[in-house]
Amino acid sequence: MELDNLKGIWQDLEEPLPQGRRSGDPAAHTRATGLSSGGESLLPLLQQRSRGPVARMRRNLRIELLCIIVAYVPLILFYLVEFQGRLRAISLLLIVVGAFFCAYYYRKSRLLNTMQCLSCQVRSNLARQVGTLKRYTRFYLLASTIVIPAMAILTYVIFHLQLLYPGDGTVYHRLSPAPWWKNSTVWLLMLVPFTIAMYYFNAWYINRLYGRHIKKLQELLREMDEE
Amino acid sequence: MVSTDQQEAFIRLVDQHRGILHKVCRLYCFTDTDRQDLFQEIVIQLWRSYPGFRGDAKFSTWLYRIALNTAISDLRKQRPPTTSTSPDQLPTELQDIQYSGEKEQQLQLLYTAINRLTEVEKALTMLYLEDKTYQEMEEISGITQNNLRVKMNRIKDKLRKMTKEATYGIG
Repeated sequence: MELDNLKGIWQDLEEPLPQGRRSGDPAAHTRATGLSSGGESLLPLLQQRSRGPVARMRRNLRIELLCIIVAYVPLILFYLVEFQGRLRAISLLLIVVGAFFCAYYYRKSRLLNTMQCLSCQVRSNLARQVGTLKRYTRFYLLASTIVIPAMAILTYVIFHLQLLYPGDGTVYHRLSPAPWWKNSTVWLLMLVPFTIAMYYFNAWYINRLYGRHIKKLQELLREMDEE
Repeated sequence: MVSTDQQEAFIRLVDQHRGILHKVCRLYCFTDTDRQDLFQEIVIQLWRSYPGFRGDAKFSTWLYRIALNTAISDLRKQRPPTTSTSPDQLPTELQDIQYSGEKEQQLQLLYTAINRLTEVEKALTMLYLEDKTYQEMEEISGITQNNLRVKMNRIKDKLRKMTKEATYGIG
């Protein structure tokens, strides 16, 4: 079989005429090809949502943001209003973490917006996807790893600065009369292995989510470049 | 906001080039459901990108880029390549159309062989069969013309070898 000899046959396939269509039955044509024909059938497709990988990632990100809002806003309000406002510091902590999530959402959203350029050449689109997806996963890993230690450190600061029940002495001092540096060291000793464990868990999880996709895109790019 | 006129112009243009979309779907998908999904996804992406179409490139070049980019980067459509020559594995149109014996056999062999190519090779084979020049292929794929010539020679050899295997049961 010579590819050049098949050009004619291939180009004849431009307007496939399966049996159903030849006999004037468009429904049979749709059944046969799985694709309907005629301009009018394209119109409903324009209203559909994309189910491509980037669209799915964007949808997941929106769900993530919605969950954060639903979980955080009532909690922030609760600690602001309840207990005569004596636990306002917890609201402050949640607001700081919420602000972190906003920055996280903004960065991820911007990366998703630049992740693909479908009207660009296939090679440059692949290169762009690989580069942006790598930055996206790096940021995802960094953000999901530092969120827990950041919260722990903030909690420590709030307690240490006696933002809760001011005037009653630090919670740590009341729990243990040891000097402040001892309490801090205990916190750090607990935090460091936990953060390392979190890093490896997140790396595994992110690789599970995007690893195959990135590898596949890299393979395609390498194949396009090799001579 | 896209006007109704623009929408109509878009539908007319896509309808004129519908054959290209069908071929891309046929090359990258193996079931009717997958083909329908990919067709829908390509049309959605074309529609989204349409406001950015300035006419610098030919409409068909722009459409090829979007169709191939959508098909290649959407991993849902990945299936293990088939090595069978069973008629069930052929695109539905080919099962229905009654071609002359030799022509039918050649198309069967071609589709079976193309199904065993990689995603990039499929795209290049399609552009080649569409009689695109190397310059047009470069504009769409972003691969240099020299590299394209090397790749096409390799693909032709590969297809020749695969069809020989299928015909004579070698390998």
